[in-house]
Amino acid sequence: MTIRHEPERHTQGAGEPAEGLTRREAVVRLSSAALAAAAVGAGTLGFFERRRASAAEPAIRDWRLPVQGEAARAVAARGADAAANVRRALAALGGMERFLRRGETVLLKPNVGWDRLPEQAANTDPLVVAELVRLCRAAGAARVIVADISCNDPGRCFARSGIAAAVAAAGGEALDARRLPMAAASLPGAAAGLEVIEQLLTVDRVINVPVAKHHGLSRVTLGMKNWFGVLGRGRNRLHQDIDRSIAELGAIFRPTLTVIDATRVLLDNGPQGGSLDDVKAVGAVAAGVDPVLLDAWGAVQLGVKPRQLGFLVEAEKRGLGKGDPGLVQELGKA
Amino acid sequence: MTATRLTRVLYQATFLGLFLWLLARLAAGDPRAWPYALFQWFDPLAASGVTLAAKTLPAALALAALLLLATVVLGRAFCGWVCPLGTLQQLSSFLLSPRSRRESLAVNRWRRWYALKYYLLAGFLAAAVLGSLQTGLLDPLSTLARGLAAGAWPLLPGGRAVPGGWLAVGLVAAILVASRFVPRLFCRAFCPLGALLGVFARFALFRIERRGGACTDCALCRFACQGADEPLGAHRVGECMVCLNCVPSCPEGAIGYRWLGRAAPAPERPDLSRRYLLGSVLGGLVAAPLLRAAGGGRGAARGSLIRPPGALPEGEFLQRCLKCSLCAQSCPTGAIQPALAQAGVEGFWTPVVVPRRGGCEFACTRCGEACPSGAIEPLAAARKTGYDGRPPVRIGTAFVDRGRCLPWAMATPCIVCEEMCPTDPKAIWLDRVEEPGRDGRMRSLARPRVEPIRCVGCGLCENRCPVGEEAAIRVTSVGETRDPLNRMVLGS
Repeated sequence: MTIRHEPERHTQGAGEPAEGLTRREAVVRLSSAALAAAAVGAGTLGFFERRRASAAEPAIRDWRLPVQGEAARAVAARGADAAANVRRALAALGGMERFLRRGETVLLKPNVGWDRLPEQAANTDPLVVAELVRLCRAAGAARVIVADISCNDPGRCFARSGIAAAVAAAGGEALDARRLPMAAASLPGAAAGLEVIEQLLTVDRVINVPVAKHHGLSRVTLGMKNWFGVLGRGRNRLHQDIDRSIAELGAIFRPTLTVIDATRVLLDNGPQGGSLDDVKAVGAVAAGVDPVLLDAWGAVQLGVKPRQLGFLVEAEKRGLGKGDPGLVQELGKA
Repeated sequence: MTATRLTRVLYQATFLGLFLWLLARLAAGDPRAWPYALFQWFDPLAASGVTLAAKTLPAALALAALLLLATVVLGRAFCGWVCPLGTLQQLSSFLLSPRSRRESLAVNRWRRWYALKYYLLAGFLAAAVLGSLQTGLLDPLSTLARGLAAGAWPLLPGGRAVPGGWLAVGLVAAILVASRFVPRLFCRAFCPLGALLGVFARFALFRIERRGGACTDCALCRFACQGADEPLGAHRVGECMVCLNCVPSCPEGAIGYRWLGRAAPAPERPDLSRRYLLGSVLGGLVAAPLLRAAGGGRGAARGSLIRPPGALPEGEFLQRCLKCSLCAQSCPTGAIQPALAQAGVEGFWTPVVVPRRGGCEFACTRCGEACPSGAIEPLAAARKTGYDGRPPVRIGTAFVDRGRCLPWAMATPCIVCEEMCPTDPKAIWLDRVEEPGRDGRMRSLARPRVEPIRCVGCGLCENRCPVGEEAAIRVTSVGETRDPLNRMVLGS
């Protein structure tokens, strides 16, 4: 390799001073250095130990409205038309207007756990969900959100259950369950450390809309068990002590209204079912403000005595409601 | 050797010695609280990277601001006088180089591609903004500490192998060999810390000044120039490492290092292309989600991703980890190893606990004390063990492999794991059974079982299990304190 020493082309202007800087140059140099130093200092002080505001995790709000007058705590309507059952039950409770104020956002929590058709009774009946959306809208709700964290692929569950289409037609929004934003919330007891559907922290009212089903571990799944569906990863730990877990969820989540769908009930192979032989058409819907009372009523529709359900006994002991199905006001057939 | 050069060499030797001495004390398990992470505390690349990624500046790293301020006054004196990796490169270049003076003249010219370090810096900082801190891959202080922890200490008597460390050693070796051909090639072209200091050195109040009148263009000043910053021509103050070799080398005394030295004529070409700079920022912004998509422990917990005790939740951990291996160097059992695949591409070279290499000593909290950036929080021993009344700090849970365990599968007595279990009461208990052997005679066996709520995942059981290569009791990360979603037992 040959290396030539090329003389440097110096830009040695004739006016180059022999010594030092001009006053102007010195001022510019010193002030730009001072600015750089100030930027370092500002950045250091601005970010020093500035932990991201580790605000306390939000608690789950109490979505209930105070019951006024002598209204029933729970009513049940029977008949072949599921939507009519919903309307009659709500009318007997004093109308949906009693449970929400104009302009509020309402979240409906149906059971959309499984990739099943409505006839298989593994999910809440779409007619019941849609009718509730309509009633909320008619009562002045600004937004009606429908959300659940499905066990099967959520896209398939919402489509094949008929709930996505029914909710859209009724003027509600089914959240895209494939990318549901989750948020940390301060959940006590068994649910500690779990996340919940983020919208649950911001909506004004929540209506729990379970379907009455058999369940392999807790015997039946109804309203309080339905809260599993708002919890994210880690909820599968709750089965290790299911009765206590369900009662704890019942204490954490206090819905404005519980509506139990017993249009069709699943009597065996729950909670996903599959065979139509396990499905019984009961043709009933119950609604009210006492989650324990409504779960007791749901158990009766499944042929189970409420006294035999560990979670119901536990919930009653905690004072979450009354477990006597006789207290539900039966409206009879339309 | 002139007085200037002698002074500089003494500084370099002192700081290199201090760097090695701190690593040695850390490895030796010195119980005194030496400032083991002293160099990292002053590292502005680490500080700015963590600040951008975690949106907070850990108190320990705030000292780095002092180095930036010093650079605004003195230029990149850190590179030339302090940085231990720079010193080693200079040594390698000095000892190995058979260059003639003519070759030195050519090799110490500035090259346009030396601007690469600025693009790397821009890319690293852009990725950090999105929460992926990768500065440690090339940070010279992390690079050297990691390379030595994996490549020097294992060679010492009683040294422990670091199987995942060969790449870290290889990087340091490559840097030193490259310096034989081009002095300080890493500093000149690749070092993101040098680039960051270079940005601030542009304001330097002290700088190399050439008095044009006396200069005869002899180019002697370039023969030993470390930064390839062209003291003769258009001096590049952002590249200058203030080695001051040029000052005494000038026969005419035309070069000085002076307060408010006269600004050099502007370089003929701009140092940075705006287009490349934009490209590297975009590259960093794309790289962060891409690295994340390539797997790791952020979204879903991984069994083999066992972090040292006190480690932050994975997302926050990756915003702070400098990949400096000080935790591994501090670990008395060799349990902490640089990750290859356990933490995904994003977590390459971050620390993981490998119980087969070493168990996590129950009351030991050295890794958290050594960590410069708070990626591993310092724990009091009473906190880690749970002797303060709260649940202990867990890093995983042990599982018995009943197909390999001697009492479970081979009807052979063994209670080593139960014996090693450090918790009180022990997480491993013995299920005593009577079982017929092959000859039909009954024998009593004590089968180990794990009570997961008591297990802290220390891995002492896995480490001491007599079943060779793959232990019959193994730890995975489930149950770790830092991730509330990586649990299995209700109420834990």
